[in-house]
Amino acid sequence: MEAESRKKALHYFFAKVVEPLGFKFTPDVELVDFLLEQEVMLEGKHGTPFCPCQPIRNDRARDMQIVCPCIPFHRQHFDAIKRCWCGLFVHKDVTDPDSLPQLSPKDVGRE
Amino acid sequence: MKKVTLYTLSTCPWCRKAKKFFADRSIPFTYIDYDLADEATQGTILQELDAAGATGFPFAKIGNEVISGYRPDLYASALKS
Repeated sequence: MEAESRKKALHYFFAKVVEPLGFKFTPDVELVDFLLEQEVMLEGKHGTPFCPCQPIRNDRARDMQIVCPCIPFHRQHFDAIKRCWCGLFVHKDVTDPDSLPQLSPKDVGRE
Repeated sequence: MKKVTLYTLSTCPWCRKAKKFFADRSIPFTYIDYDLADEATQGTILQELDAAGATGFPFAKIGNEVISGYRPDLYASALKS
C-alpha cells in the first residue's frame, strides 16, 4: 500500500482506538503527519507500527508495549502527562500541546 | 564546558529538537541514533535508560546529569550548574 494511503488508514483506525481511552490526535497537524510517516516506515521495516520515540528491544513482550497506540500499556504515565510519549495523542481537553513537557515515568512517580 | 551526549532515534521528532537545541547554541555534543547503532551499543544504551528509569528518547547526558525526554529547560539548567 502506498505510504500516504497507509497513513490515512492508520489515522482512521487510531482515532477510533484512542477516543474511548480519553485521547485524541494532537492538534499539531505537522507533528501528526511526521509521526504517522515514521510509523508507516517502521511498519514497512518491522511489520508493526511501533512508536517512533521508544526503543525496539527485540524482546517481543516489551516491544508489544510500544505498538501504536500504546496508551493502554502506559496508562498511568500518559494520563499524568496528558499525552503519549511521542505526542501523537493528547488528552481530549488539551488545546495547547506545546505546554505539555515530555515527562518520564520517573518524573511523575510512575516508575 | 560540560560533555553532552545524546541518545536518540532517527525517527523521533523530539530527538531532532534536542539535537537542534545544542546545535543552535553552538554547544558541542555527540549523539548516537539507537536504531542505527550496532547490537552491543544498543544494549549499553538500554542499560543506561533502564538505570535512569527512562522509557524513551531523547535521553541526554550533560556532565553527570541525565535527562529523559525533550526538556530544554533542564538542558539549560544542567549546562549552567
